[in-house]
Amino acid sequence: MKIKSQQDLWAGLMFIAFGLFFILFAMGTPEFLDKLVGTRLIPGYQMGSSVRMGPAYFPVVLGGLLAVLGLLVLLDSVVSEGPEVPKFHFRPLIWIGLSSLAFAYLLKPLGLVLASAALVFVSAYGGHEFKWKEVAIMSVVLVIFSVLVFVKGLALPFPICPDFIEVCPIR
Amino acid sequence: MLRLLLLAALAAGSTLAAAQAVPQWPTRPLRLVAPYAAGGPIDISARLLAAKLQESLGQPVVVENRPGAGGNIGVDLIAKGPADGYSLVMSAIATLAINPSLYPGLPYDPLKDLRHVTLLVQVPNVLVVNNDLPAKNVKDLIALAKQRPGKLDFGSGSSGSTGHLAGEMFKMMTGTYMVHIPYKGSAPALADMMGGRIHLMFDNLASALPSIRSEKVRALATTTLKRSSFLPELPTLDESGLKGFDMTTWWGVSVAVKTPDAVVERLSAEILKAMDAPDLKDRLRNMGSESPAIRTPEQFTAFVSAELKTYTELVKRSGAKAD
Amino acid sequence: MEGIFGNLAIGFVEVFKLQPVTMWGMTLQHVPFNIIMCLIGCLLGTLIGVLPGIGPVATIAMLLPVTFNLSPIAALIMLAGIYYGAQYGGSTTAILVNIPGESSSVVTCLDGYQMARQGRAGPALATAAIGSFFAGCVSTLVVAMFAPPLAEVALKFGPAEYFSLMVLGLVAAVVLAHGSLIKAIAMVILGLLLGLVGTDVNSGVLRFAFGISELADGIGFVTVAMGMFGICEIIANLEQKESREIFTSSVGKLMPSKEDWKRMIMPILRGTALGSALGILPGGGALLASFGAYTLEKKVSKYSHEFGKGAIEGVAAPESANNAGAQTSFIPLLTLGIPSNAVMALMIGAMMIQGIAPGPQVMTERPQLFWGMICSMWVGNLMLVILNLPLIGMWIKLLTVPYRYLYPSILLFMAIGVFSISNQPFDCFLMAVFGLLGYVCVKLGCEPAPLILGFILGPLMEENLRRAMLLSRGDPWVFISPSKPISMGFLIASVALLVIIAAPSLRKKREEVFVEET
Repeated sequence: MKIKSQQDLWAGLMFIAFGLFFILFAMGTPEFLDKLVGTRLIPGYQMGSSVRMGPAYFPVVLGGLLAVLGLLVLLDSVVSEGPEVPKFHFRPLIWIGLSSLAFAYLLKPLGLVLASAALVFVSAYGGHEFKWKEVAIMSVVLVIFSVLVFVKGLALPFPICPDFIEVCPIR
Repeated sequence: MLRLLLLAALAAGSTLAAAQAVPQWPTRPLRLVAPYAAGGPIDISARLLAAKLQESLGQPVVVENRPGAGGNIGVDLIAKGPADGYSLVMSAIATLAINPSLYPGLPYDPLKDLRHVTLLVQVPNVLVVNNDLPAKNVKDLIALAKQRPGKLDFGSGSSGSTGHLAGEMFKMMTGTYMVHIPYKGSAPALADMMGGRIHLMFDNLASALPSIRSEKVRALATTTLKRSSFLPELPTLDESGLKGFDMTTWWGVSVAVKTPDAVVERLSAEILKAMDAPDLKDRLRNMGSESPAIRTPEQFTAFVSAELKTYTELVKRSGAKAD
Repeated sequence: MEGIFGNLAIGFVEVFKLQPVTMWGMTLQHVPFNIIMCLIGCLLGTLIGVLPGIGPVATIAMLLPVTFNLSPIAALIMLAGIYYGAQYGGSTTAILVNIPGESSSVVTCLDGYQMARQGRAGPALATAAIGSFFAGCVSTLVVAMFAPPLAEVALKFGPAEYFSLMVLGLVAAVVLAHGSLIKAIAMVILGLLLGLVGTDVNSGVLRFAFGISELADGIGFVTVAMGMFGICEIIANLEQKESREIFTSSVGKLMPSKEDWKRMIMPILRGTALGSALGILPGGGALLASFGAYTLEKKVSKYSHEFGKGAIEGVAAPESANNAGAQTSFIPLLTLGIPSNAVMALMIGAMMIQGIAPGPQVMTERPQLFWGMICSMWVGNLMLVILNLPLIGMWIKLLTVPYRYLYPSILLFMAIGVFSISNQPFDCFLMAVFGLLGYVCVKLGCEPAPLILGFILGPLMEENLRRAMLLSRGDPWVFISPSKPISMGFLIASVALLVIIAAPSLRKKREEVFVEET
């Protein structure tokens, strides 16, 4: 058996994985596995009946459907020709992801000014060229803009200055 | 523009802060956590109150929405937060009285971790029925429910809401059986009742009032001991034979338990002053609230512990659950 | 008919009324205050609509205390302005940078963004504005003339009807994709499953939360959309080394060409009709308006092969439908006092606190307020189109800004918007996760749009299915019984649509495997 479409192969596997994941967490781990380990690994939710559907009913049906569709996609990958999976670019992926995390977890302790600057610097690092001066100017402009528009204008409850500064110069 | 409008509003009715009992408080902005998404009645009243407190305390009061887990996340945040009087939370019947028995792993204790400052709003629930239902009063309804056990459907804004529990209480006190149909908010339940798909519901007065006034649905009784001033002709359930039926939806302001007495006193005084100001009083009344008789922090705390007991029992006996 | 003109006259007089205004201690006589409030509302609405993640609900909630110092009519005019202004602004972001700030602008991204990539951002934005304006005018008239009878229609929709409507919507979602049919269906289902995360409405059980309390209320739409569209798009753009320094090679024309005009007329008409109809339903009908209109166009248009690659119909139809739905969703509010979405619930709150009980009696007891508000919607739409057409020049200038300046700004605004939803870092984390998922999906040839639609409709569908079963005491025939003709109609339509979709794609399957990367 030869895989003719790498893209379909991986897409099929992804759907099957997601389908099984939802089924597993909705139904709980099967009994034999629990016995093997000795405790209930994943409790699962009530299945109910089609008359009085429990919380597990819908996810199990859909998860099953998703897994079947994934299987179809998987079969397709050996039947018909398809494209290769395009190359993953990890540099932008990692830095863009990191920049939004940096912003999120720095906002409360450090305030909007520093968190925004952090986001701009980290995300700019994920681009093709990183020029200190340019990025610095950009972050100043963006910080001023977001303080004015979001905190002053739209009254979002964001701290502007870091926690440890007693009196914030920007009020 | 927003700021300008706000400033204009403040300039129009600014009052100077009264004699300051605690001179060292507040010296910086306060935050008032609304543990629900922006836009609900609790959030709105938080914003109304914040605007008023801002005037009298001379410090910004920032409303912060921290929705999640039926309000538990926001309340827990304050319960575990600094007890310096700068962090307040809008606590409600759900988070203080109902959730402790609905959610098994509630991270805070409503009495041990929180100090209750002021009860802000108290809204009666009303029993409303579909216009085509033959029952014209509570007695008819009970008779109908007994005659058709399991055939009547009652809606509610969500599982574990006051509307749901009021229905369970009604079932228990009358010995009837009706099917609970939960909705996402009381508006769709109300719409389904107008369309004749469910028969009755216990809704809070504010959201049901427009439909009652326009005769899209029929009100049978209020769930409070006293008649509501909004619908003075409407009997109470207590009058209609269900002795002692008393359920309201309420919310107020709480702080972390270790907050200093002086700060709590001052805060309570300021909130009461704001509530007694004619404009806020009017607006809270328009949200369906009768001015609560409970005013001091001690009364509020006693009230919370009584409600907690009532609902713990009710949830246990009716078997209602969220988990 | 005469009555209508009389009423509209009352309304317009109210909107343009000159009144004395006191501000900062000065009293000015003869200020057209209501119209000024309408303008402020529209401007503010456009601003928050353009900023990704900041929605009208949060804005209106924050503004409520301010509005109480205004007269009820001025307050409502302003709040309504924010609402439909945000719809206008939302499509701008969707077209320019592929970020849907509202569920209704997801489909606008599909073709609008492609048009922008081809240097046709100007015509795309103009089409959106013109379509919205036309739809706004027509649907305002619909509200004025037929509000009470239409409200009765809305009441005919129960859980069974909504469920069947959602099924139709999901079948339509498959049409959104232009690649593999099976993958599109799988993405819809994955979206449905993701939509189930959180507290189950019927039983109150917490599902798929894995002990994370932030997941108890489910995953927010904005978070998913920002991740799968916004973040994913930025990463995809950054990986192309050479071309991406400037977004489009040429700014192109501002206004639609004659050909464009010809092509947009029918889609606007159909979109308006469909949007007006769906907007009336309080239980999530308006959500389907733009999706439905897009699907309809893709099926009836002779340019259907261009859909997803920058077809002007794919902007005109959903934008008109969306705005028409936004206007007619006032019908349940004004006539029954039932809010059809979170913004409407806030409007009810605003009315109540001003001492007005919403409902049919408003029309008779306070005609100035009722008709004034309706007329203000029309005036507001006019203002928006006048505001937005000149702004197009500015917006497309934005596209000539080098991408290395543009993307950190977009990212910052998205992060701020997502953070503001519940003021905690977790949502931004989730946004990044969905960015990753979106990136993987695109690499595997699975398009995100069907997933988003499944995500929006999934919870509604399950909720209504289970409620219908509960009400019928478990009778599965409740959806196709003769006593429920509406529900039966929708299900038959779904099957028909499924056949129409499946037939050609089964035939063309081989060729369609090589769908180009877009």
